[in-house]
Amino acid sequence: MTDASKRGESEVRIKVTVNGTQENRRVPARLLLSDFIRDTVGLTGTHIGCEHGVCGACTIIVDGAAVRSCSLLAVQVDGSTIRTVEDLAGDGELTPMQKAFHENHAMQCGFCTAGFLMTLESVKNEDYSDHDDLLDLLSGNLCRCTGYQDILNAVTSVWETGTGPSS
Amino acid sequence: MKPASFDYYRAKSVDDAVSTLAESPFAKVLAGGQSLVPSMNFRLSTPSLLVDIGQLDELRSVAATPEGVTIGAAATQYAVESSAEAAAVVPGLRAALRWIGHRQIRNRGTVCGSLAHADPAAELPALAVATGATMELRGPNGTRTVAATDFFRGPFWTDLQAGEIITHVRFPAQAPNVTTRVNEIARRSGDFALVGVIASIGSSNGSVDTAVLSGFGLGATPVRLTAAEGVLHGKNTLDEPARMELYEAAYSDAGDPFEDVHASTEYRRESIASLVVRTATAIIDGSSEKGGRS
Repeated sequence: MTDASKRGESEVRIKVTVNGTQENRRVPARLLLSDFIRDTVGLTGTHIGCEHGVCGACTIIVDGAAVRSCSLLAVQVDGSTIRTVEDLAGDGELTPMQKAFHENHAMQCGFCTAGFLMTLESVKNEDYSDHDDLLDLLSGNLCRCTGYQDILNAVTSVWETGTGPSS
Repeated sequence: MKPASFDYYRAKSVDDAVSTLAESPFAKVLAGGQSLVPSMNFRLSTPSLLVDIGQLDELRSVAATPEGVTIGAAATQYAVESSAEAAAVVPGLRAALRWIGHRQIRNRGTVCGSLAHADPAAELPALAVATGATMELRGPNGTRTVAATDFFRGPFWTDLQAGEIITHVRFPAQAPNVTTRVNEIARRSGDFALVGVIASIGSSNGSVDTAVLSGFGLGATPVRLTAAEGVLHGKNTLDEPARMELYEAAYSDAGDPFEDVHASTEYRRESIASLVVRTATAIIDGSSEKGGRS
């Protein structure tokens, strides 16, 4: 163990880009990415629900792909480009999906909303014209107010796709 | 829930990872971390050192040839799922991967990590057993190759020895006349399966000559449902008596599955038998049923 501890470190310096801003921080090895985003960088739009990869509230985008930030260590994403919900309307203008959520009242308490928006943002250029595929995608984010129908309405109002035969 | 303290080491190469692991008996390999990090959040796992191989380019490949698909230890599940070349050679890969958690998890989780984790309710160990996959391991004593049937020893227990890592897994190409479907029962979409089955069935001249059924969520390791496979041989359709015969065989193949708060032993037996009938019927009689997530 003594030999190995020479090779490992309990604190690690990481460099990441978060919503266009360079962050160069020394962090504990055990710091979760979700806590890095919220507590170290100070962006509290990313929510923490279950902390074991089930609820999707903490979903953010790392190098273009949606991930659970509670199931990653901050040190694992060293060198990455990160986007959080704060980046969506970074220029003050809501994205079409954010507008659709607003117009369809696709939320009740809003706790899950950031996660849904980031999941949807990450695949906005992909084909979700199959209704079952869309439901499967959305099942990765839990809404405990059970407002799924309004969320589905919001998504299908923006994506021409996603309005498959059974909807 | 936060992980207990540990040291972190980013391996510079596979050999560097192996030599680091050999020096620390309480070290764990970190690839995608999609099983390990949640388990550390719960403090079910408290390694003293994490050796990160997730950023090693030499392990990132997904190589499809006419003979099979070879997947490196740092290749994510989604990288494999989205590879048309891999799906063409080993269709069972995409069919199984789509049942794993959710897209956000598959974006980081690795195929080899799931095999090394060896959760008895996981899809990929059962697929590895069903398809005759082989694991390439590297350790302090060099490299060796282990067949999937010898690799899984028990719940979260594999043939990996101290200091060894899976560097690659190789899935052999599926025969052109074979169809593979994956089906499972879970409490919620994306949850671990209560029970599930990988079914690879092929016919020649209208009757079944290849039948592989690999069940998961039943025992300590993936379970080949050999009596049910025997029932399928020679069939050209599954009529009502054949379906009853298949159900009985799969039910007895299931043995005595474990019971937990979600499902009793009897529930698991009946569920796997029903799944086998449903899945085999869909293949043999060409049902257009999409089969859940696949």
